[in-house]
Amino acid sequence: MNNGQEAISVENLYKRFGENEVLRGVDLSAGKGEVISVLGSSGSGKSTLLRCINFLEIPDSGIIRVAGEEVLMKTNRRGGTLPADMRQVERIRARLAMVFQQFNLWSHMTILANVMEAPLHVLKLEKKEVRDRAMHYLDKVGIADKHNAYPVHLSGGQQQRAAIARALAMEPEVILFDEPTSALDPELVGEVLQVMRNLAFEGRTMIVVTHEMGFAREVSSRIIFLDQGLIIEDGSPQEVFEAPKSDRFKTFVSAMM
Amino acid sequence: MDFAIIASNIDIYLEGLKNTLILVSISLIFGLVMAIPLAVLRTSGNLYVQAPIRAFVYFFRGTPLLVQMFLVYYGFGQFEAMRESVLWPLFREAYFCALFTFALNTCAYTTEIIRGSIVATPHGEIEAARAAGMSTFLMLRRIVLPSAFRRALPAYSNEIIFMLHGSSLASVITIIDITGAARIVNSRYYSPWEAFLTAAVFYMAITFTIVFFVRKLEKLWQRHLMPLEQLDTKIEAPSI
Repeated sequence: MNNGQEAISVENLYKRFGENEVLRGVDLSAGKGEVISVLGSSGSGKSTLLRCINFLEIPDSGIIRVAGEEVLMKTNRRGGTLPADMRQVERIRARLAMVFQQFNLWSHMTILANVMEAPLHVLKLEKKEVRDRAMHYLDKVGIADKHNAYPVHLSGGQQQRAAIARALAMEPEVILFDEPTSALDPELVGEVLQVMRNLAFEGRTMIVVTHEMGFAREVSSRIIFLDQGLIIEDGSPQEVFEAPKSDRFKTFVSAMM
Repeated sequence: MDFAIIASNIDIYLEGLKNTLILVSISLIFGLVMAIPLAVLRTSGNLYVQAPIRAFVYFFRGTPLLVQMFLVYYGFGQFEAMRESVLWPLFREAYFCALFTFALNTCAYTTEIIRGSIVATPHGEIEAARAAGMSTFLMLRRIVLPSAFRRALPAYSNEIIFMLHGSSLASVITIIDITGAARIVNSRYYSPWEAFLTAAVFYMAITFTIVFFVRKLEKLWQRHLMPLEQLDTKIEAPSI
């Protein structure tokens, strides 16, 4: 599905937490329309990679480009890195929506208000247009009837679908999913995966950190396997699942299945 | 007991009621308006910003309101510089001194209440705001503060009531508030029971009015915390 245009590129990304080197030189580029599943055992750095892309974690070094625009970094007095211009980061974040493991809906707002919030106040769009857009996406994820409810009144699966609608309402270039089904009861996982499957088939660019092997294999256009802060498998689902290059991936898959 | 005294002196009490309401509402408004930015700054990382706010809060929470009021009303006038400053016409007045002390006192407590509820904002909601591209200011205005106010409401309603009751100290520095009115009536007729019981009834009426409105606000603001079916929490004692 890659039509040649680059949505995100990551070059030589390093990130450490104290003594712990979580990412040790990761390169990744995502073309428009690609659905990339990022696999890896816990501690492999896959969530950190995702969180570095929208600067929820600040990488120690490396270059991140979103739609060709490089995020400028500077060094502070103590030698740490930080974004040179927070406004640039905010602008870029508005083009990359994120769906979290714990949904993270704003609990004091109704579902509709959650979905309308960022388009209204970050993108500064017209209220009427935003409302229509929000209802459209809530309908798409199948919870339009719950638009007046508060997050606490919904099931986990419904909350995650609301969070996906919230991400979609920004009409982002890329949607980042950080283990979107890991906090759900097993019987609620299906409804969220179904929504994500539909998005993938529409040709949206998605990077999905997940443990759902079935989803990764069936839906993604590319699989990335991270181990100890390095990408050790990168290819189409057939290539990676049928002819993995590393023994590490074989053990990982057999442990998961 | 002779409550006819009260009936014939009701205008003194009404004057007192007016003064109490003015004192309390103005100090609460100023206290709250100042407390919001102070609480936000208090949660910021910068130690140089935090230190003066902490010192202010420590002083006003660490000392009795009456002592604070004496320091302002009697204490300030001891200094030549104060007596010659442009502020002296204000600080010479008992009314202004009471207002000044009450506002700072409630501001200190309110700062702590709001700070506590800002700190309790779920971390994920902050990340979601950042990930959506919100600036820090927008996030404070749209996500952190609205959610913090809702959490602060029960504690803040206590602060309102404490302030109301604390305001009775104003009568010590010659102000005719509800308590001051009771003192006048008592000294005229030497009937402390009737005089102060009437004051108590006034305070109780105001308190219950406040509680009534806070309940209404809670119902409106805390819908997101309540279960759908029933809007009152009942805690049953465990059966033995």
